[in-house]
Amino acid sequence: MSTHNTSLNTPLSVAPFPSRRLNRWAEMVWRVAGSVDVRTKILGMVLALTTALGLAVTLQVRAVMTSVFAEELESRSVSVASDLASRSIDPILLNDTYTLHQLLRETVNNHPDALYAFVLDNNGQVLAHTFGDAGFPAGLLDPALETVTATLHGEIRHWVYTSNEGTVHEMIAPIMGGGAGVVRLGLTDTRLQAIVNTVTGQMILTTLLVALAGIVAAMLLTWLLTRPILDLVATTKEVGRGDLQARAPHWADDEIGTLADAFNQMVADLDASRRAIAEKEQARFLLLKKLISAQEEERKRIARELHDGVGQMLTSLMVGMRTMQRSDDAALNQERMEELCTTAGETLEQVRVLSRELRPSLLDDLGLAAALERYASEFTRAHAAIAVDLHCDLPGRLPSTIETALYRIVQEAMTNAARHGKATAVSVLVSRRINSVQAIVEDNGAGFNVEAVRRQQSSVGIFGMSERAELLGGALDIESSPEGTTVYVEIPL
Amino acid sequence: MCNRLSHLLLVFALAACAPAQSTVLPHIDLSVRTPLPQAAPGEIAHLRVGVAAILSPQGTVESYSELTTYLAEKLGRPVDLLQRRTYAEFNDMVEKSQVDLAFICTNSYVVGNEQFGMELLVAPEINGESVYYSQLIVPSSSTAQSMADLRGKVFAFTDPMSFTGRIYAVYMLQQMGETPEHFFQRTFYTYSHDRAIDAVADGVADGAAVDSLVLDYALQRNPELATRIRIIHHSEAFGIPPVVVPPTLPVRQKVHLRDLLLAMHEDDTGKVVLRSLGIDRFVEIENTAYDGVREIVHATGIGE
Repeated sequence: MSTHNTSLNTPLSVAPFPSRRLNRWAEMVWRVAGSVDVRTKILGMVLALTTALGLAVTLQVRAVMTSVFAEELESRSVSVASDLASRSIDPILLNDTYTLHQLLRETVNNHPDALYAFVLDNNGQVLAHTFGDAGFPAGLLDPALETVTATLHGEIRHWVYTSNEGTVHEMIAPIMGGGAGVVRLGLTDTRLQAIVNTVTGQMILTTLLVALAGIVAAMLLTWLLTRPILDLVATTKEVGRGDLQARAPHWADDEIGTLADAFNQMVADLDASRRAIAEKEQARFLLLKKLISAQEEERKRIARELHDGVGQMLTSLMVGMRTMQRSDDAALNQERMEELCTTAGETLEQVRVLSRELRPSLLDDLGLAAALERYASEFTRAHAAIAVDLHCDLPGRLPSTIETALYRIVQEAMTNAARHGKATAVSVLVSRRINSVQAIVEDNGAGFNVEAVRRQQSSVGIFGMSERAELLGGALDIESSPEGTTVYVEIPL
Repeated sequence: MCNRLSHLLLVFALAACAPAQSTVLPHIDLSVRTPLPQAAPGEIAHLRVGVAAILSPQGTVESYSELTTYLAEKLGRPVDLLQRRTYAEFNDMVEKSQVDLAFICTNSYVVGNEQFGMELLVAPEINGESVYYSQLIVPSSSTAQSMADLRGKVFAFTDPMSFTGRIYAVYMLQQMGETPEHFFQRTFYTYSHDRAIDAVADGVADGAAVDSLVLDYALQRNPELATRIRIIHHSEAFGIPPVVVPPTLPVRQKVHLRDLLLAMHEDDTGKVVLRSLGIDRFVEIENTAYDGVREIVHATGIGE
């Protein structure tokens, strides 16, 4: 709509008016008004409202009073003038000037707003008046006044003029229908104006007092509102500095109280999660330590096994072969050769077992089901007292990380059952679900206190199982009772 | 365009705040005083007609305005109607020649004639007679049948000098051997007969003595008045209130006025005026017609 040169490029955030100049004013006002603090805002609002209300009411009352008084003055004056006119008839007709004068004087004295009264006969001559000995205001007899605008109340004319004594309302009442003359009564509204002004003053004073009370109330209100907010801000800063034990006080059951409660809950959750993270960190640190030591242990074991088992066997092979080399007995050499073959075979078998223990190639080649079956049979060979029941419901291969994890978890669970549990039977169930794969390893051993072990972080194995599952986004649960232990694992696909 | 609109709104707002009056009020300085101008004497001498306080001042104006208009027309000069509160004041006015013609009450003439030579001009004639009566009235609710029944009551007189309105009543009491001060509980003056009638009709007075002409006129004009009052006594005939002139009036004027009044009933307009006054015509009258009044006045000793 406006054809102003758009030299401003920045769009205005506050633009309620169509005119661009007005919008700029609005933006400036908003910027100033918005930047004062809440206390000032509330104070300002309360003050503005109170004063506006007070002033509006005062003005209205003043206007109403003024108009009501004016009406009252007019109607009372009309009746006084009318009465005066009718009481003037006899004195005028009887030429009783003294009575006429008395009548006028008493009327003026008895009426608090009357300034003067005088009577003109039907020739326009002054018969009596209340102006005293100093003469008569000639201006009142000016013939030009005949044509002045006046309002009529029955027979009585009411006209207004300004004078050195303020605004004067004059009533002109005909006496005996005008046949005997007229009486003219002059009144001021000075007294009534004074009353209006007094009342106005009182109302303004009341407004000021109420405004003052309003300021006090507003300050109380802002204190009530901002105290909890400021406390919350302080608590936020404390939390920001790292003190997660800091809590915001709950001042009242209002919105701010709810905010404080929510904030406290958030800090508590934050604290708990930090603790959990710290625990996990701790546990992972320990795990790392233990993994490294376990790795060393494993290497030590492998080294020892290689040295003790395979090394020994290879040594005896070498001895045998040396013996054969030195011997000429062909038949004995044939027997020795047989023994040596057997030994070599056992050695190979040991190497294979060792190799498989380390990393079954079956797992990579044929998958989890096959690897578990081989492990189960080897387990049975190693622990004859424990019956192993294995079921694998795996229609196909799974991602290698999941297969490895599940293999190690089952391996660890079964090892635990054999090592600690005094179990006699272990059942393993691995099944493929729609979106996950599930493994359940159950033994009937003596059980253990899962929580205690977890908290002490003494079992790398259990922690390791959980870690493996969690790393893949899954979950591991151990339930243990004196009747046995069950390990549940679920890993999403 | 929006700028122009906002400018317009501003102008309207300012206009609305402007004072409501479209005209400026006249200004008069009440402290500027001048002595009142004396009324300049008219070039033509007005005929001053006085009417005694038989009726109330307003009643007199109502009744005599047609007559004064007629006279003004006939004489070709303005006519002023003058009244006074009491008969005594009125007589004083006549004595000082402040009126040229006066319609006066009977006893006022008697006294005036005696004291300074007030002259009879003419008298009204009603039904062939120039007489009137004093009538004693009471409220219609009253059980009184005569003056004697008004003992201890409130009585209204008209004027101290009124014959029908006081003197005759005092005479009646005198005949009974009483005085108003002892006979009545309280008396007061109404200074006109029509107001005395109203006082009785309204029950303000328990009784009054009034001029029969005034009573007739009042009953004629206001028939329902008859339901509120009752006449309990009717006096003998006395000379009717005359029309007089001051002794200083020039003879030529006196004759002119007399002839004018005597011929009034022959004039169409005059007849209408006479009828409005309740009179048939004006006639000449002798001083002796008022001897009956004189006797009773002397008997009561009022005014001596």
